[in-house]
Amino acid sequence: MAALSRAWAWLRHNALPIYAGLAVAYMLIPIVVIAVFSFGDTPKGKLTFGLDEGFTLDYWRTIFDIPELNEALLTSLRLAALSTLISTAIGTAMAIALVRHRFFGRRVANLLIVIPMATPEVVIGASLLSMFIYYSFALGFETLLIAHVMFSISFVVVVVRSRLIGFDRNLEEAAADLGAGPFTTFRTVTLPLLAPGVIAAALLAFALSIDDFVISNFNSGTTVTFPLYVYGVSLRGIPVQVNALATLLFMVAVVAVAVVLFQQRRAERMAAVRPEPIPLPGTAAAQ
Amino acid sequence: MSLKQRSVPYWLLGPGLLWLLLFFVVPMYFMGELALRSGTLTTGFTFTGEWSNFPDSLSGHTEQIVRSFFYAGTATALALLIGYPLAYAIAFRASRFKVLLLFAVIAPFFTTYLIRTIAWKTILSDDSPVVGVLQTLALIPDDGRVLATPAAVIAGLTYNFLPFMILPLYANLERLDVGLIEAAKDLYASSRTAFLKVTLPLTMPGIVAGVLLTFIPAFGDYINAQLLGGTGQAMVGNVIQSLYLNQRDYPEAAALSFLMMALILVVVSVYIRFAGTGAFMGDDDPAEGRV
Amino acid sequence: MGASSRRAIPAIVVALAFALGLVACGDDTVGGGGNSSEATVAKGGPVKGELTISNWPGYIDPGAGGTVAEFEKASGVSVDYIEDVNDNNTFFGKMQPQLEQGESGGRSIFVVTDWMAKQMWDLGYLQEIDPGDLPTVFENLVPSLEDPSFDPGRKFSIPWQSGMTGIWVDTAKAPEIKSVNDLFDPKYKGKVTFLEEMRDSVPLVMKAEGVDPEEATDADWEKAIEKVKGAADSGQIRAFTGNNYNEELNAGNIVAAIGWSGDASIVNNPNAEWRMPTEGCVLWSDNMVIPVGAPNVGAAFGWMEFVYQPEVAADLTEYITYVSPVDGVKDLVKPALAKDPLVFPSPEFQKNCSTQDSPPDVEKVSQAWADTVAG
Repeated sequence: MAALSRAWAWLRHNALPIYAGLAVAYMLIPIVVIAVFSFGDTPKGKLTFGLDEGFTLDYWRTIFDIPELNEALLTSLRLAALSTLISTAIGTAMAIALVRHRFFGRRVANLLIVIPMATPEVVIGASLLSMFIYYSFALGFETLLIAHVMFSISFVVVVVRSRLIGFDRNLEEAAADLGAGPFTTFRTVTLPLLAPGVIAAALLAFALSIDDFVISNFNSGTTVTFPLYVYGVSLRGIPVQVNALATLLFMVAVVAVAVVLFQQRRAERMAAVRPEPIPLPGTAAAQ
Repeated sequence: MSLKQRSVPYWLLGPGLLWLLLFFVVPMYFMGELALRSGTLTTGFTFTGEWSNFPDSLSGHTEQIVRSFFYAGTATALALLIGYPLAYAIAFRASRFKVLLLFAVIAPFFTTYLIRTIAWKTILSDDSPVVGVLQTLALIPDDGRVLATPAAVIAGLTYNFLPFMILPLYANLERLDVGLIEAAKDLYASSRTAFLKVTLPLTMPGIVAGVLLTFIPAFGDYINAQLLGGTGQAMVGNVIQSLYLNQRDYPEAAALSFLMMALILVVVSVYIRFAGTGAFMGDDDPAEGRV
Repeated sequence: MGASSRRAIPAIVVALAFALGLVACGDDTVGGGGNSSEATVAKGGPVKGELTISNWPGYIDPGAGGTVAEFEKASGVSVDYIEDVNDNNTFFGKMQPQLEQGESGGRSIFVVTDWMAKQMWDLGYLQEIDPGDLPTVFENLVPSLEDPSFDPGRKFSIPWQSGMTGIWVDTAKAPEIKSVNDLFDPKYKGKVTFLEEMRDSVPLVMKAEGVDPEEATDADWEKAIEKVKGAADSGQIRAFTGNNYNEELNAGNIVAAIGWSGDASIVNNPNAEWRMPTEGCVLWSDNMVIPVGAPNVGAAFGWMEFVYQPEVAADLTEYITYVSPVDGVKDLVKPALAKDPLVFPSPEFQKNCSTQDSPPDVEKVSQAWADTVAG
């Protein structure tokens, strides 16, 4: 009887992490399927729906064998990285201005942020294209970058803003009281506390850019991004290497994050040896 | 305030506003002008101030508009139900693994929409074991299917927009002061009351942000309906896509797009007012520390 | 910051908008090509330099031994071969603003389907081709493609590959499907797909009703569209697909699909086969066209001449498995392929087939079709 109530208590206490685990598993289901199918043997080297032919490592051995695929992937990664950098910087600045300051045209600016999110991609893509043509802009990587930053800004602003609202200004006032100038305060107090929001926004901007198809299709000129490549080859069968590369990319990113975490833990442990604790942004500060 | 201080917001806002002005407002102006034209591609689109394009495009496609509301709304609600607990768990119970888990949330995006959807279609194909289980459990009829139904489109929308819900929720939840919840419990509040009266109101901005970031793009989405839906699941996005590319009726496509954007703005304004966070749209006094 | 500066910002916005308005409203009528009668004749030149081609995916044998590599070796031209024509309409949508200005985005050759080539021609987006510049092409072009109704005498289009639209059938599940009318049989409810492309699906339905698409009136088109709409609304038709019908076939979600003959390489379902409908198929070609503003017409001509040599064409056919427009290829391919009626259809095989055509009033019929597809 006691064991049952203990079990129940354990369940109740850990309900949230268990649920979170299930939810994350749900998010990752396609990745698992993709990874599994990257080992599936197929008669023509193209993706199939079944695994009847057995398994093979062939497609992993030849993973970098398709030059167009590699180029498209690299282009997408470069584009996403640059787009994330620029849009996160611009968007964060805008969010700060919109939440912290009172100025003329605030309402209009707020509206301007929301409208691009509401516009269908075909319209954004086509109208941007028309404008580029009208002003004789050469289509290519630059126009792609412009478009990607444009549609990412709104998302960044909304995410950062949700973190900024209700932000405790007392901390910044305290820093000012202790003689810190506005830039120093921003750098050492505001930014670290803002970090989780900025990181979340950056992740979103990256995801948006790397996955974009319609707007990129209109404004890419002859440049090929990864989604454009995949949509193209889906006409004649997707090479299994696409799955293998996607899985590889995922694993590389996981390893990168794990390394960062490992470094953090090492720093934490090192700090434990010293007399004064080093506050880490987002964890100690929030408590 | 000194000149330097007062000009700060403009400097912060400047680059972003300029970018949006040049690369969104200007193209939209072109589009707006296009919406007032009439004609065809062969005869040319002449500017005739054709305001009738607007009501015409609305009346011709009310079914898809209503359907889009329903699909996007359901997907948003589901995303909120699934995403809120997950964001909460990441913010408070994940300690070291926060970034890793956040990463897991957006990881599917690395694989491009088409590959993800093919993976889902593999899992949910008519002859798959998953569908078999659903049939045994009598959740769907014996000869029923999951793909090419409204359920599939809504499931696709929910899945693909989940990160858009989770990330802003997390960003907001993360700064929640757990001490407040403890204080509430010290005052004899049950977990449920503490949640409803403390956590929920404080995390409203996050919820509002998540709902907006999910509903708005989901409403204009077309690809989920195209790949996961069958006949009778077309959304507004598909209609505009078709008008622009297949029928090449640029004025009507442009008019319908503007109508759609206006509709969204109305819905958003109403929702924000209803959710009580005027702060979100800047209705509060920012000079104060707390909202 | 003074009040004047604060007011300045919105004022600047308004001024900008006004200025742009003046610029944009400058031309009262946008578009409306229709100057095909004044089309420029493409001027040939030396076969050198760089050549950019836009083609459909999977339409060329790739790699170091492929046609592009061979052409580069033989001619010294550096080729940028881009596979960005996923769909006629989408490609047109993204090229249209540039073509309107007389630009082709750096491309010297597009490959688009018959009706799209005609549409581009009618809008004045293509250059005219002088047969004198392409002796090999016109010598080796199969007679049946020499004088199509949409481009008599081949003034602006040179076929790349041809194909047939018919029915893909899963013979294990529905072996008795032989005609497009069978697709409307209630016992296959929810298990058939039609092609999204109006000019593929509707002519087949018309033929099954005994109407000749090449002579059909708008009313005939609309009647056939009505029939399809009824089937879509009742759920008989599972979906309107683009090229992804092969996914549904492979997954076993459908028993039959309207689809293209050359897709054998991507249909992995061992029981699926392409069938010529009893009432006949729709014949179409994808054509090479030279857009206005093409930067290197000389190299483009060189490419066309190169791929119309029977040996090169044979290599292409062996990989792509569509119908080659080049005469004499049959003798050069592997015997098994030479016997495949889908790659080398006999006139007998194709006797009931019609060429792909557009309805008389394209806008009206397209709208009716769009309403059907959009559900």
